[in-house]
Amino acid sequence: MSPDAYDIKAKLGVVFQDVAVFEELTVYENIDYFCGLYIKDKNTRKQYIEEAIELVGLEEFKKFYPKQLSGGLLRRLNIVCGIAHKPKLIFLDEPTVAVDPQSRNNILDGIQKLRDNGATVVYTTHYMEEVEIICDRVIILDKGKVLATGTTDELKELAKIEEKVTVEVNDLNEKYIEEIKRLENVDDVTYNGNILLVTYKKGKNNLVELIDYLKKESIKYNKIYSERPTLNDVFLELTGKELRD
Amino acid sequence: MFIHNFKYALKTLFRDKMLIFWTFAFPIILGTFFNMAFSNIENSEKLEIINIAIVDNDEFQNNELYKQAFKTLSDEENEDRLFNTKYVTEEEAKQLLEKDEITGYMILEEDNPKIVVTTSGINETILKYVVEEITTNGQIVENLIDKEINKELSSGIYNLYNLDYKKIYENVLEKTQNQEVKITDMSNKNLSYTMIEFYTLIAMACLYGGILGMVAINKNLANMSSNGKRVSVAPTPKGKVIFSSILASYIIQLVGLTLLFIYTIFVLKVDYGTNLPLIILLGIVGSLAGLSMGLAIGTILKANENVKTGIVIAVTMLGCFLSGMMGITMKYIIDTNAPIINKINPASMITDGFYSLYYYDTLDRYYFNIISLLIFSIIMIVISYTSLRRQKFENL
Repeated sequence: MSPDAYDIKAKLGVVFQDVAVFEELTVYENIDYFCGLYIKDKNTRKQYIEEAIELVGLEEFKKFYPKQLSGGLLRRLNIVCGIAHKPKLIFLDEPTVAVDPQSRNNILDGIQKLRDNGATVVYTTHYMEEVEIICDRVIILDKGKVLATGTTDELKELAKIEEKVTVEVNDLNEKYIEEIKRLENVDDVTYNGNILLVTYKKGKNNLVELIDYLKKESIKYNKIYSERPTLNDVFLELTGKELRD
Repeated sequence: MFIHNFKYALKTLFRDKMLIFWTFAFPIILGTFFNMAFSNIENSEKLEIINIAIVDNDEFQNNELYKQAFKTLSDEENEDRLFNTKYVTEEEAKQLLEKDEITGYMILEEDNPKIVVTTSGINETILKYVVEEITTNGQIVENLIDKEINKELSSGIYNLYNLDYKKIYENVLEKTQNQEVKITDMSNKNLSYTMIEFYTLIAMACLYGGILGMVAINKNLANMSSNGKRVSVAPTPKGKVIFSSILASYIIQLVGLTLLFIYTIFVLKVDYGTNLPLIILLGIVGSLAGLSMGLAIGTILKANENVKTGIVIAVTMLGCFLSGMMGITMKYIIDTNAPIINKINPASMITDGFYSLYYYDTLDRYYFNIISLLIFSIIMIVISYTSLRRQKFENL
């Protein structure tokens, strides 16, 4: 796309990772300024701005200056400045970095609404839980290379494990660890601190068998739970490293 | 789109406290300090008579212009007496200067005055300017007489032997008194070096417009600010956005300058002379030079906004220092030893423009400074434009 492809640019919305707003303008003025770069008609713009403000819940802060806003509200303003003009394709670069849970939920709800209203959202993040909540299709990138694409379920199938069981247990000796490794479907066993992590190659109901074994050996545990592999596991599997923060 | 961006550029710049301080408040504060400090110095020095010597050779005796001028300026009964003059031989003058009994001496050689001083200072500068003024005013009167004589001869009524000298004298006198030509009053009162300080203050205020220009362009460039990134992805021509921002900066700069003029004229009672339209024109052109300098610094340098602001301030202050802000002597030293510096120094061009308006009879030097400032602005704008054209960003 060339720099003067204005017809294409008019359909785009970009929300940068760095907060990009004018400190000297109020919330409303900031949105009006950036929206005005796309929408010339004042009435249409006013309507769009009101809708966008409502979308991210900034109704009470229209006359506030950016420095009067909390980090979360500032992030919401940063987003609304990029999407108020109702773009068809929206790029969001880690919009929830350093945001409080309330603002994060608000932002994620807003993004889902944008999607429901017909916009295509390209969302960049390191938070896999966000991906699982809002993304229909996922691309895993590492150093600029596409490692995998698909829905979250499709990507999870790429992981060689199917179930993870975590047990909080004290003083587990090497003998028990070796025996657990020999249980059916077990892929790997690690014991760090007082956390025992057992991964399984197949099946979704290996938890019962592990509980039976612990009872049989009279091993006392505090907590035990089962999980399906996460996207983080998939990333680990594909790249050999944990996701960065 | 242009008006939309222009409106918001005005808002953001007007609400930027740091900018407003440097462009509006700082020159006013500095002007107030100048007024307090220099008016006291000037008052205390007003009565100081400068000791000088004049080599009383044949040429001086035959030159009525210098003879009468120094007689008036050294007249003990004259309230605005400037000099205590000794008429001596060249040898005696040298000895007086060596003994530090005089500031300097003047010797006429082939009707050209030569000033001999040993140091640079206020008194030496005053002596130099006075002699310059006498020479210039003398030339003006000579030119007027030439013109009148030629007029009389071309009328066919007179020839060289029966010219009506009384009429010529009256015509010349009338023209000088009617201020068709301006003969400078060289009294102590009018040779105010405080004026130089205020000229450099105005020059500084003009050049501080550079901060506005730099900030305005920074807000619109993707490689300079986050806001610039957002602007660059919008479907708006870059030129339109940048031009509207620059125009807003220029208007704010001119508002600041107007306030400074109003404050200095009406509150500090500074007399900038009578030619107000030309003074305003110089301010407008000087501000353009400052703005364009800021644009060039903003586009060329790869540094953050604070560093660039510091650079604009430093360049401005250096320019003002060289043009005489921290002491008129510096202007004299630069003019004498390295005139090229002040030829390319916008602060000096502005200062000299005001100075020439106030002291000189013709507008040649004033227009030379105006043209120099315009050339400086054009060069800076071309540099900025070229630099902007070369900037390429990764596209989506």
